[in-house]
Amino acid sequence: MLSIKHTLFLVSGVSSFIIFYMGLVNFITSVDNSTGLILLIFSIFVAIGTLLATVSISKSITKPIEKLTQNMTKFSKTKKMSNKNKIKTNIKEIFELNENFENMGKTVEKTIEVQKEYVEKLKIMDRKKVEFSSMVSHELKTPLVPILGYVQMLQQEELLGKLNEKQKEAVDEIYLSTKKLERLIGDILTTQKLDLGKLVFDKENINISELLYGIIKEFELETTERKINININLSENLQIFSDKNRINQVFSNLIKNSIGFVSSNTGNITIGAKDSFNDVEFFVQDNGIGISAENQNELFKKFYQVDTSTSRKRGGSGLGLAICKGIVEGLKGKIWVISEENVQTTFFFKIPKKSIKISVPNKLK
Amino acid sequence: MGYYKLSKTERVKTKQKEVIESLEILIIDDNEQITKMLSTFLELKKQKCTVANDGKEGLAIIKENRHDVILLDLAMPEFDGYAVIKDLEESNTLKDHKIIVFTASTITQEELDVLVDRGVHSYILKPIDIDILLSKIIETANS
Repeated sequence: MLSIKHTLFLVSGVSSFIIFYMGLVNFITSVDNSTGLILLIFSIFVAIGTLLATVSISKSITKPIEKLTQNMTKFSKTKKMSNKNKIKTNIKEIFELNENFENMGKTVEKTIEVQKEYVEKLKIMDRKKVEFSSMVSHELKTPLVPILGYVQMLQQEELLGKLNEKQKEAVDEIYLSTKKLERLIGDILTTQKLDLGKLVFDKENINISELLYGIIKEFELETTERKINININLSENLQIFSDKNRINQVFSNLIKNSIGFVSSNTGNITIGAKDSFNDVEFFVQDNGIGISAENQNELFKKFYQVDTSTSRKRGGSGLGLAICKGIVEGLKGKIWVISEENVQTTFFFKIPKKSIKISVPNKLK
Repeated sequence: MGYYKLSKTERVKTKQKEVIESLEILIIDDNEQITKMLSTFLELKKQKCTVANDGKEGLAIIKENRHDVILLDLAMPEFDGYAVIKDLEESNTLKDHKIIVFTASTITQEELDVLVDRGVHSYILKPIDIDILLSKIIETANS
């Protein structure tokens, strides 16, 4: 790279030499010796003058530029403008350059200051969110304790006496609704924790065949009652080192959805897993109403429900799939859906065989 | 779901007959609706219940009488469950009691593990099916 200093020296050196050379030639070839000598001496002076002028000009240009460069380097490291090393210059261009740099520096300083304030505010908001959600959760769960307790006492005739059929039905309905409310509170809390990166994952060796049979058992009563066929498709027995309860939760949410969308008597649900390089690929497949292409993209968003009338009937919270996504991603996996309307829907999720213990990255929203 | 839980109830019932006739249970919880419900239930299940509606009162009862199991709420105004645990810890008597922390607070697994390490017997998160609660109480008393 060329420096201003060297370029100036080169140009002035060459021009001084030419002046000197012309004086010399003039002196040698001139008839009148005294005039030639005067011209030679004059040319020597001019040459030296040019060189000296160059040195001084180059200094007055390069010095402030060097200083400016130093200041810039320092600023880019510290992000702070310093009052030391002030630049003094008479050269208009450099003066303006420095002034612009100083203004820019001040703006950057201010922006950083504002940014810091925002980060601080976000941190406080984050903390408030956590405090609020734990407060709400505590306040919502507490009254559920006596409600659930008395309902369960009413369900046992040896405790609070025999109920007639209608009363029994009513109590069972209260029980189911209370359970739903309990689940909803749990779902909201889980979502909250996922958002704040506070969900911690445990890891253990999981036998996948045991896991799948265990999950199916949870739904046995509901599926037999509605004559929905539910089976397992597992070609080989697999192991995974991951969070059992959370994988279970993903399966539960997906199966609950499937059960909600298949018809009684003809409903068919298959759950399974297969080996996929470093991952285990799980799936839940059903022959329910399916999901249109446009809804498939929105599906994993919070509180998104395909059709409010059906979901109201099903009593979902609209958080199930968002939770699934949060959990799967927290376990370093991926979740997706393939669906053909009124034919078949399959939810897939892939989880590394050895997922690392991490909490979901903190998303500041 | 409801039916599933009921079948569990039946298991609890048979188990219960094999074991103890009556346990002395202390419930420390500031929520009177909860303590009333629990004592109603436990008494119907032929258990003996003492209720304390705050930590200080609970601590006094703990020091006066032995109980087979103590159900301890964490979040209480002023003298809370943590204060009760700390007090017992300071007098070196925490491990003499079978304390089940019974809480609706948002508490992490790690925090619960710390409590158990300190000498709390176990924990139950609210809300819970009362029959499972009873089976846990019996389990704790027999441990």
